[in-house]
Amino acid sequence: MIDVFIDYMPLFMFAALGIFLFSGYPVAAVLGGVGLGFGFIGIALGVFSEIEFFNIVSRIWGGIADNQVLVAIPMFIFMGTMFEKSGVANDLLYCLQVLLRRVPGGLALSVTVMGVIMAAMTGIIGASVVMMTIMALPVMVQRQYNMPLATGTIAASGTLGVLIPPSIMLVIMAELLGRSVGNLFVAAFFPGLMLAGLYLLYIVTLCSFRPGLAPPLPDELGPTNKTELVVLLLKGFVPATFLIFMVLGSIIFGWATPTEAAGVGAAGAIILAVVNRRLTFSVLSKVVEHSMLTNAMLFFIFIGATAFSYTFRSLGGDDIVIGLVDSAGLGSWGILFVLMVIVFFLGFFFDWIEITLIVIPVFAPIIELLDFGGHVAKIDLVYWFAILLAVNLQTSFLTPPFGFALFYMKGVAPPEVKIQQIYIGIIPFVLLQLIGLALVMTFPEIAMWLPRQLLN
Amino acid sequence: MQFLFRLSNLFDRVVSTIGVAAAWITLPLILIIVFDVVTRRFLVLGSTKLQEMEWHLHALLFFLCIGWAYIKNAHVRIELVHERLPRRAQLWIEVLGCLFFLIPYCVIVFYHGVDWWERSWSIGEVSDSATGLPYRWVIKAALPIGFLLLFLSALTVLLRKVIQLFGPPNLAEAAFQLEQKEREPTEAEFVAENGGRKTGERQ
Repeated sequence: MIDVFIDYMPLFMFAALGIFLFSGYPVAAVLGGVGLGFGFIGIALGVFSEIEFFNIVSRIWGGIADNQVLVAIPMFIFMGTMFEKSGVANDLLYCLQVLLRRVPGGLALSVTVMGVIMAAMTGIIGASVVMMTIMALPVMVQRQYNMPLATGTIAASGTLGVLIPPSIMLVIMAELLGRSVGNLFVAAFFPGLMLAGLYLLYIVTLCSFRPGLAPPLPDELGPTNKTELVVLLLKGFVPATFLIFMVLGSIIFGWATPTEAAGVGAAGAIILAVVNRRLTFSVLSKVVEHSMLTNAMLFFIFIGATAFSYTFRSLGGDDIVIGLVDSAGLGSWGILFVLMVIVFFLGFFFDWIEITLIVIPVFAPIIELLDFGGHVAKIDLVYWFAILLAVNLQTSFLTPPFGFALFYMKGVAPPEVKIQQIYIGIIPFVLLQLIGLALVMTFPEIAMWLPRQLLN
Repeated sequence: MQFLFRLSNLFDRVVSTIGVAAAWITLPLILIIVFDVVTRRFLVLGSTKLQEMEWHLHALLFFLCIGWAYIKNAHVRIELVHERLPRRAQLWIEVLGCLFFLIPYCVIVFYHGVDWWERSWSIGEVSDSATGLPYRWVIKAALPIGFLLLFLSALTVLLRKVIQLFGPPNLAEAAFQLEQKEREPTEAEFVAENGGRKTGERQ
C-alpha cells in the first residue's frame, strides 16, 4: 500500500496541487507549499532527504536570480505599463479608425490592427484588452455594432500580445526549454501575424455579407483637410513605429539581446511619455510600483514552481510521466496531440503562467524525444513545439469560464454589455485560433522559415 | 488584539518601505542597460561588469518586492471558487494558507538560505568571470532577506485575518479597511484609472 503510494507520489502531488490551487490562495505559495509538503512526506517515507531543500535554494538562485535573460521580463512589463500611460495608444487607434472608416467592419478591423501594434509593444495581455475595451467598445456600442462581434474582436486582438514578440510568455518558455529567446521571438513572428490575418479575413468576410452587424463611422469623423490628416497620421504612427522599430528591429536583426532591447524599449516608453507630456512624478511612481508588483508576482511563481518541480523530479516524476506516455503507445503525433488537448483544457481554468511553469518542466523531457521525421527538422522541433504551445495558450485567455481577457473586458465594458454576449462573441475567434494551431502544425515552415532566413 | 493590530502594522511598514525602495531600482536598471548598449559600440568598458550588475540589481529588486506584493494582494490567485465563498471562508483560507503553505515555505527557504549564504560569505565568493564584479556574497544575501520579508508579510496578513475573524468589530473593521486601502489595483482598475478615454476624445 505504502509502496504504491511512494511509486505514484508525483501523481498525488499533481492532484494536491490541483485541489489547493482552487482554494484561491496565491498560486506561487501553493506551488511552493505543496512542493515542500511532499518533500516532508518523502522524508517521512525515506525517499527524500532534508538536504535536498538546500538544493532548492541554490536552484532558485542559479535558475532565476543569476540569469541575464530573465532581466528582460521586468523591462518588458515596465515598457508596456509606461506605454499604456503615455497616451500614445489613443492617438493611434483614433488614427486607424479614421483610415478604415469606409471599409466594412472598419472599427473592428482597426481594433485588430491596433491589437497587433500593441502586441509588438507590450507583451502584457491584461493591459491591451483593457485599453482597447475602454477606448473602442463604447464607440462600437454607440455605432450599434453587433455586440458579440465587437467584444470577440477586442478580446482576441488584445491577447495577440502573448504570441507576437516581444512577449513575456515566450521569454519564460525559451528559458524553461533551454533555448534562445531571440530565436523563439523570430519564430513567433509569422504565426502571430497569421492569426491576426485570420481575424481580419473573418471580420471583412462577415461584414461584407452582413453589413448590418458593423455600421460604418460617419464620414464627418476625422480631420477636415489634408494638413490635419497628415498631422494626425504623424502623431498616431511615428511614436509607435519608433518604439516597435527599436525593440523588435534590434532583436530581429540581431543588434541586441532581448534583455538589451527590453531595457532600451523601457527607456523609449519613458521618452514617449515625456514627449506626450504625460510624465509626472505621480505617473512614474505608479508605473514603477505597479509594474514591479507584477514582476514580483511572476518571479514568486517562478520560485514556487522551482520548489514544486524539484520535488516532483526527485520523487521520480519524470520517469512516471515518460512511463505513462510510453505505455500509452501513442507515437510522436499522438503525444503531441494529447499534450495540446491537455493544455487546451487546462486553459479553461488556469492561465498561461501556471500552465507554462508547471506543464513545461514536466513535459520537457518528452518533447526532446519526439520524432517527426522529415516534417520538422530535429533542431527546429523544440521551437516549433513552443510556438504550438504559445498559440494554444493564447486561447486560454479566451475560453470561459476562466478566460482572463473576458474578465478584464467585463470589468471595464459599458454596463449594457452582458457577459453572455462576451462568451458568444469569443466562439468564432476560438475556432479561428484552432485553425491557426492546425495550420502551424501542418506547415511548420510558418514558424521556422523566418528564423532560418535571419539566423541560420 | 490591539497589540496584534499594531504589530501587523509595524511589520507592514518594514516590508512596504523596503519593497517600494526596491521597486525604484527599475530606473537605475534601465539606465545601466541603455548605457551598456550605447557604450559597447564605441568603448570597451568591460560589459561583463555591467551585465552582471543588471542581474544583481534585478535579483535585489524582485526578492525584496515579493513580500510587499503579498501585503498589496498582488499575487495571482485562481479566483474561480474563491470569489463565490462567503467572506469568513475566504478569511479562513488565508489563515490556513499562511500557516500551512507560506510560513513553512519561508521558514525552510530562509533556514537553508542562510546556510547557503554563509558558504558564499565564508569563502568571500566573487564572480565566476575574471572580469566580473567582486563581492558576489553580498548580493546573495538578497535571497534570505527576501524570504525574511516575505515571512513578515505573511505574519502581517495572518494577523489581520485573525483580527477580522476573532477580534472586536471596530478593530476587525479597521483591519479590513486597511487591507482595502493597501490593495494594489488590478490590471483592469489600473488601466481604467486615468489612462482610459474613448477614442477621439481630447483631454
